[in-house]
Amino acid sequence: MQLKVPEHQVAGHIAKDGKPGPLVDDKGRFFKPLQGDSRGENEVKFYESFSTNTEVPDHIRRFFPVYHGTQAVEGSDGATMIVLENLLADYSKPSVMDVKMGSRTWYPEASEEYVQKCLKKDTGTTTVSAGFRISGFEVYDHKESSFWKPERKLLRGLKVDGARLTLRKFVSSNSLSDMGSKPDSAFVSSVYGGSNGVLTQLLELKTWFENQTLYHFNSCSILMVYENESILKGNDGDARPQVKLVDFAHVMDGNGVIDHNFLGGLCSFINFIRDILQSPDESAES
Amino acid sequence: MLKVPEHQVAGHIASDGKLGPLVDDEGRFFKPLQGDSRGEHESNFYESFTSNKKVPDHIHRYFPVYHGTQLVEASDGSGKLPHLVLDDVVSGYSNPSVMDVKIGSRTWYPDVSEGYFKKCIKKDRETTTVSLGFRVSGFKIFDHQESSFWRAEKKLVLGYNADGARLALRKFVSSNSPADSNLTPPNCAFASEVYGGSNGILVQLLELKDWFETQTLYHFNSCSILMIYENESILMKGGDDDDVQAARAQVKLVDFAHVLDGNGVIDHNFLGGLCSFIKFIKDILLSVDKRHETETSPLENGN
Repeated sequence: MQLKVPEHQVAGHIAKDGKPGPLVDDKGRFFKPLQGDSRGENEVKFYESFSTNTEVPDHIRRFFPVYHGTQAVEGSDGATMIVLENLLADYSKPSVMDVKMGSRTWYPEASEEYVQKCLKKDTGTTTVSAGFRISGFEVYDHKESSFWKPERKLLRGLKVDGARLTLRKFVSSNSLSDMGSKPDSAFVSSVYGGSNGVLTQLLELKTWFENQTLYHFNSCSILMVYENESILKGNDGDARPQVKLVDFAHVMDGNGVIDHNFLGGLCSFINFIRDILQSPDESAES
Repeated sequence: MLKVPEHQVAGHIASDGKLGPLVDDEGRFFKPLQGDSRGEHESNFYESFTSNKKVPDHIHRYFPVYHGTQLVEASDGSGKLPHLVLDDVVSGYSNPSVMDVKIGSRTWYPDVSEGYFKKCIKKDRETTTVSLGFRVSGFKIFDHQESSFWRAEKKLVLGYNADGARLALRKFVSSNSPADSNLTPPNCAFASEVYGGSNGILVQLLELKDWFETQTLYHFNSCSILMIYENESILMKGGDDDDVQAARAQVKLVDFAHVLDGNGVIDHNFLGGLCSFIKFIKDILLSVDKRHETETSPLENGN
C-alpha cells in the first residue's frame, strides 16, 4: 500500500520535523495520526460513538467523514492512525476551505492553560466577533491556472471585512493572490447557491443543531470543497460543492444541552454566505 | 407619586440609600441612568431603536416602549437625576410571575476593559452562561398554596448548574409550593398555558429567533429576556380555554446598557443562547405532553 502526503490539506497538522502528518492512499482513504495527550484518543472515541449512534439521522451522516477504524501504519514509527474517508478523493482540482466554527474554541472541560491559549487566539481573530474564523484555504486560480494558498499569518490577521472578502475570493475566478483586486464571484451560484449548494447544506446542518444534544463540537471545522475541473470544461453546474465537518479531538458529550456555541457561529456563517449570494459584487452592507 | 417597583427580580433595587428604578401609578417605569456612560449608552439605544425603520413592526412588542428621559428625584435621596422613562412591562398585570434570564454564552464583548472582561468571564464560567448559553438572573412566582409571592434567593440562582436552571424553569410554571421543591418535584401545572399555546412563551421566542437569524443592527450584549405571566386568572381557573388568553404570557427584552452596533454581523452570541433556551422550554413542554399521555391512556384491564 503506497501512502503519500495529501496534496490539498489546508489546515491542521502537516508532516514536519519528523512528526508524522496525515497520509492518503490510492483507495480513497485518509490516515490521520493520533494527536498526543488524549486528543487522538478523544477523536477516536467520537468516531466510534458517532458511527454507531442510532440517534443521528441518516441524512446528517453525509456531513461527516466515513470512519474506518484505526491502524498502525508502516513508515510512521508504527504510530496508530485514524483511518477515514479521503474527502477529496473524488475531486481532481478541488478548491478547499477550512472554517473553524463557534465564538469560542475552548470549552468548560478543558484545562485552564488550554482555555487561556484559546481565548487569546479567539479574541485576536474573527472567532469572537463573527462566530467563526477561516483556518485555511486553497483555491484554484482560473486566470493563473494554478492553485493558490495564502500564508497562515494572513488568515490569522483577518477581520470581519477580510473574512467576507475571502469568502468571495473562494468562489471567484480572478487574480486571487492580488489582495487589492476585486473578486468576480464567478462561481457563487454554482458553489454557494442552488438546491445542492453550500447554503442548502448548511441550512440542513443548522436544523439538526437546533435540536441535537448528543455532541458538542468544540473547535471543529466545516470544510467546503468544490470541483474546478468541470468549471474549466464549461460545466459550472457540476461544481459538486460539499460541506463536511472535520476535527473531532475536542468533542464532548452534549448532556441534554444543544451545541449553542457551534450553532451561533454556524448561523453567522450562513448569513455571510447568504449576503454574498444576494450581492456578489458589493462589499458588506452598512 | 413614585414608588419602588413590586415585581423587580434582577438588577439594581431602589431602597433607602440605594439607587434603583421607580414606578408611578400610570404604568411608567423610571430607570436611573447608570454612571460611567452605561446610562447614556442605554438611552442612545432606545433613541436609535425607537426610530429605526429596519426593525420590523412585529418585533417592537418585545421591547419596552420608550418615552425619553426625565429628571426625577432619585431613590437614594441624592436629588434629581436623569432617568429613562419606559412603559412598565408588568403594569397590566395584577399578580405577575416574573423571570429574568440573561441570554448569551458570554456577557463580555470585544474592546471592553481588561477589568470588565475578567469580571464577566469569571461570572460566565461560574454560572450556566458558558455551559448553557444563558443564566437565570432572578425570578419570583406566585405561590398558589400560600397566596403570596415567593422570590428565588439570588445566591441560589447564581449557583445553578444545568439541572438547577431546568428545575427553576419548571418551578416557574408550577402550582405546588416552591419552598417545598426539595420534597416534591414541580408539577408544571401551567406549562401549557404559559410556555405553550399559539401566543405562549415558546411561540414568541421562536419569532424572536427568526429575527435574530438575519438582523445585523444590534448586538444585545448582556441583555435579558423577561418572562411574565398573570396568576390572577389562573387562580380563578374554570378549567376552560379562557385561561390560555388570561395567562397573558409575555416575553420582553430588557437592559440595553451594553448594546453595540451589529456592523453587518448577526448577534450570534445572543442567538446561540436563545436557541439553547428555546430547547429547554421545548423539552419541558414535551415532558408535560408525555405525562399527559400516560395519565390519560386507558388502563390495561379496562375500568
